[in-house]
Amino acid sequence: MEKSCEQIEKLLVDYADGELSSGESSKVAEHLAKCERCRKTFQALERSMELAGVIWEDGLREIEDLGVTKVAAVRRFKWGRYAAIAASILIAAGIFRAWHSTTSHEEPTLTFAEVEQRIEQSGRAARLLAAAELLAECPDAQSIVEKQYRYIVETYPQTPAAAKAKSRIQ
Amino acid sequence: MNETDSDFAGETDHAAGERSSQSGFFEIFIAERDRLRRIVAGMGLGPADVEDVLQDVSIRVMRRSPKCQSPEDAVRWLVRVTINLCLMEHRRRKRFGRNASAILKRRSETLGRPERAQENIIRAEELEIVRESLQELDDSLLAALVLRYFCDLNSTEIGRVLRLSASTVRSRLREGRMILARRLTERGVEP
Repeated sequence: MEKSCEQIEKLLVDYADGELSSGESSKVAEHLAKCERCRKTFQALERSMELAGVIWEDGLREIEDLGVTKVAAVRRFKWGRYAAIAASILIAAGIFRAWHSTTSHEEPTLTFAEVEQRIEQSGRAARLLAAAELLAECPDAQSIVEKQYRYIVETYPQTPAAAKAKSRIQ
Repeated sequence: MNETDSDFAGETDHAAGERSSQSGFFEIFIAERDRLRRIVAGMGLGPADVEDVLQDVSIRVMRRSPKCQSPEDAVRWLVRVTINLCLMEHRRRKRFGRNASAILKRRSETLGRPERAQENIIRAEELEIVRESLQELDDSLLAALVLRYFCDLNSTEIGRVLRLSASTVRSRLREGRMILARRLTERGVEP
């Protein structure tokens, strides 16, 4: 018996995902060949998922571009995030002062975006270092802590936290 | 107590004697970080949120090594906790914050060529509709879609992660996809 559009519509997602039996799949294909309305619904199903994929990939690329890729932390302290923000501000002030002192007699060589990026990286590195220091209190977590220090050194080499992490490894 | 709370409720009674399994679990977390990051991106959170979510996952790993029978169980636990944390973040933050033109701009930069103007206009309109639809989609439907179509898990695997039957997962996938498709056709976009 031929299926109605309503019945076919309920099967379209399973059809698109290859979840139907071959018999049911053939019936859906036959229906789509002659029903423009269902065909458009099917095309919209495929198209919307393709576009969702573009949006998801873009989100992932944005994350990767900004280098927020690897994170490790240990315990949650309520004050942790506030401390990280305070540390970031101090680091930002330090970077700005250092940058200002080296460029006060010349035209600045860094763009604002670059300064902002350095500040952000310093903040992240400081936060990761703080987490590693907490983890270091666990006696059986030394290998992870060392990996964490190495990660900070490799990922944020220009930051004060990287210098500290390096000294911990040595 | 909701599903998210109950997932985390047992964390505080972690016995000190179980600490030795923490390192192993943490290693699994490190190995699965890329997959977890993919999930967070798929759930529509931004770069700053990724750090927060993954940090929270790692904290939960350190506070309580869940009683997992196998590495596969451990991975499922990590995925479930990540999804739940994303859902908690959703309540605080706007997800899928980048609009269609920003997405297309980055895409053309990545492709190394601009897309043709006409193509761009159509795509931007379609992309914006789908982005808005994802933004408004119920969390339970979005989580199923992300795990199935962005992380390539099948319905059974998703069911294990989200503690649902495979048929419930299929039903959520059907509902979620039909919502996205209908939004496209209702707005008069020809696929």
